[in-house]
Amino acid sequence: MHDLSNGIRKLVAWPLAGFIVVCLTLTYWQVIAAPQLNHAEQNNRSERMRRRVQPGRLLTRDGLVILDAREGLKGWERAYSDSEAFCHLAGYNSRSGLQKTLSEVFYAQGRYAHVWEDILHGRQTGNDVYLTINSRLQQRAHALMRGKRGAVIAIDPRDGALLALYSAPTYDAATITKSEEAYNVFTYDPAKPEINRPLQGMYPPGSVFKIFTAAAAVDAGLADPGKKLHCAGAERIAGTLVRCRKAAGHGDLTLRRALADSCNVAFAKLGDELGPDRFRSYVKQFHLLDAANLPLPTSTGRMADFKGFKGNMQLVEASFGQGATLITPLSIARLTAALARGGEVIQPYLVDHVQTPAATRLPSGRGKKLGRAVSPETAQAVAGMMRSVVEHGTAGVADIRGVRVAAKTGSAQNPSGDPHAWFTCFAPYDEPVVVVTVLVENGGSGARAAGPIAVEILRAALETGT
Amino acid sequence: MYSAGLMGLGLFLVCLDQGQSLLRVLRVMTVAGSFIVAALLMQIESEGRDHLLLPAVSLIAGCGVVFLWRLNPESASRQIIWMLMGSALMIIVYYLVNDVRDLARYKYTAGVGAIALMVATMIWGQEKGGARLWLGIPDVVSFQPGELAKVLICVFLAGYVADKGELIRSHSKDSGLLAPLALRYMGPLLLVVVFSLAVFVLLRDLGAALLFFGLFVAVSYLATGRKRYAALMTVLFVAGAVAAYYYFPHVGRRMAAWLTPHADPYGAGHQILQVLFGLAAGGVSGVGFGRGLPDSLPAAETDAILAVIGEEIGLLGATGLMLLFVVVSYRTFAIAWQSKDRFGALLAANLGIVFALQTLVIAGGLLRLIPLTGITLPFVSYGGSSVVVNFIALGLILTVSRDCRPWPSQRTPDNNHRVARPSTVVMQILDN
Repeated sequence: MHDLSNGIRKLVAWPLAGFIVVCLTLTYWQVIAAPQLNHAEQNNRSERMRRRVQPGRLLTRDGLVILDAREGLKGWERAYSDSEAFCHLAGYNSRSGLQKTLSEVFYAQGRYAHVWEDILHGRQTGNDVYLTINSRLQQRAHALMRGKRGAVIAIDPRDGALLALYSAPTYDAATITKSEEAYNVFTYDPAKPEINRPLQGMYPPGSVFKIFTAAAAVDAGLADPGKKLHCAGAERIAGTLVRCRKAAGHGDLTLRRALADSCNVAFAKLGDELGPDRFRSYVKQFHLLDAANLPLPTSTGRMADFKGFKGNMQLVEASFGQGATLITPLSIARLTAALARGGEVIQPYLVDHVQTPAATRLPSGRGKKLGRAVSPETAQAVAGMMRSVVEHGTAGVADIRGVRVAAKTGSAQNPSGDPHAWFTCFAPYDEPVVVVTVLVENGGSGARAAGPIAVEILRAALETGT
Repeated sequence: MYSAGLMGLGLFLVCLDQGQSLLRVLRVMTVAGSFIVAALLMQIESEGRDHLLLPAVSLIAGCGVVFLWRLNPESASRQIIWMLMGSALMIIVYYLVNDVRDLARYKYTAGVGAIALMVATMIWGQEKGGARLWLGIPDVVSFQPGELAKVLICVFLAGYVADKGELIRSHSKDSGLLAPLALRYMGPLLLVVVFSLAVFVLLRDLGAALLFFGLFVAVSYLATGRKRYAALMTVLFVAGAVAAYYYFPHVGRRMAAWLTPHADPYGAGHQILQVLFGLAAGGVSGVGFGRGLPDSLPAAETDAILAVIGEEIGLLGATGLMLLFVVVSYRTFAIAWQSKDRFGALLAANLGIVFALQTLVIAGGLLRLIPLTGITLPFVSYGGSSVVVNFIALGLILTVSRDCRPWPSQRTPDNNHRVARPSTVVMQILDN
């Protein structure tokens, strides 16, 4: 009898051990292996979960809804409004644009979840995302860029907020997702409308890059706006034949004049004088080749390494924005903004704030300060020269009544046809509140093709008070 | 009382969630009420009776009903009726069996009955979901004889070992290290292993096979007090299972689904993958009650209900439920070792082994510890036969507990038997 009692007692250890193993395995699957399982290829739970959640809306800062939610046959669906102006932001399905990168926010998952809030209110609703975009600027850009290819960027240099981020050509999300045929037409369109040009487009910067070379030279102590330079029209610098846009040459001129008239020879000489090491270090300090830290795909820039027997030639070409340099329009806008705000580089940001259904504001990133690229005096000097470009130089189109604009034009040689037209500017000159950068692919002259668009955007920005 | 209250609250929340009328809630509350009535009815009875089992089981059953209601209110309603039937049978068993030893006289009847049920299933059984487990008139009434056979086999084994135990023990005592290899021991051992494997292969029911096998191993240990028989049987069973893997294609498919579910994610590996995805989605605190995706789980109401629970109330909820199962198993074993009667002790131990093993086999299957097999989670899964039989088994265990040594509070100083400590503490909290 006693033996039996003992035997049973000893036996208990086995089922108890079994339960412990079960609980540990439960912990393994639900905690340790969970992230891997949740992202497993065959796991379509998050997709199915999503259809039950009313996704959050996407709005501009001034409250225009550009991406809404409506109830469809298979659960919640997306509804686009004014898609052509905002398509590169909103995307056209759950795998494109901000719909892809901010899906955790829209569907209230992960750290944006608010389960208890939903349970208490008996609903499942995602979070609204407010962008820094000003809908009027964006719509204006859309109107001005009709029939063109290119990019329009507007930034508030004070905090890095992106006021407009527009890419042409555009598409209508509802149209291209209507049928497979329409979608094929869209994807095989030679103008490549799906590319978000301000962030993904890679272009030779051309003459707008001269503001960088000028800033580097002034900051390195090699030059000041009054520095005397000489241009003979076509000169051999460091073994490279450099042609100025004025074939007869500018003769003797100051650095200020060289920027205003966009003299290639003068800037080639400045770059040569700077040398590859200093040139590279300023490229780095201005974060010229870095991707933008935005919730949209962005490209990193490319530049020659200035090494080997062709190094000097590459440096001379890079000094006036040609050669192997390829850069995104956002980089040029960021460079302009850095000069407008006294030499400090700021990373632009796009998401103003996230709002839960209970109207709680969730914190989101502001424009991150990336450190000082040049001294405030240098930035001041270059800004002054950019003002001269408007007053006495190539950017006369920006010499408008009521507001003092500083600008730089560019017409970048490229293998695909007419030069790309660049225009980058900020205003007001004394206390900049907006930076506008415009690129028109194969537009020809920067002043004629891109300048008027930039000025219109500038005006609209100053009118709305950003 | 607490358990009934909790269950009521749970159901209230479900109905709130699904916007159902309060009238249906009241209907569900009758189950909670039945547990209270049962507890009160039994309270009148003897002092030795266990005070923890019924509350723990009613919590488990309550959790089951709440989740079934969430999955499918119709199934839950049927489950409630079965639970009421089960509870009634439990009380009848409790009052009808005056002395548990009376049952021992029917051990051969029980044994023959169990085998008859199994054979009948093999011959006339209806196939549902790939396993031949059902008996009855198609589309009118059917039940799973396997469930009843489990209890009958427990009764038979308890009676047999209680009777012949001393004989078995004296035979095994004189033998040396190699004794298990002697032919007269090999015979019965092989028979048992072959029976378990036959259930697996012929009825295609790995769960039942594991259950019977585990029961036989445990009983052989209790009868002889020697571990080497258990070890030898395990080796033979594993060898048999490996052989079955190579010779029977359906066994091979089952194993492949277990070992490499990713190879066939929409076929053989579908269920286990969906179970694991669901558990992973639940995480520590769950996705929230009623917010999971049980419709992507095959057999969510029956075999895979633990996965639904793990998804919606998370690791915390699922572990809590497992702890309740531990309480029930542990209390059953405690009753067994405190029983004054040899037959009663063996019966409670056998029923405890079946209960714990059944829980472990389905939980282990869902957690990919062992191949997944169709078997119910006691008191939780949807299924009439299972619920009713489990309540009858509970009635038997409670009957055994009546003849236990008294509880610590009622112990006399000279009674020094060790009694389960932690459970008495929980008991005092729950039982008021």
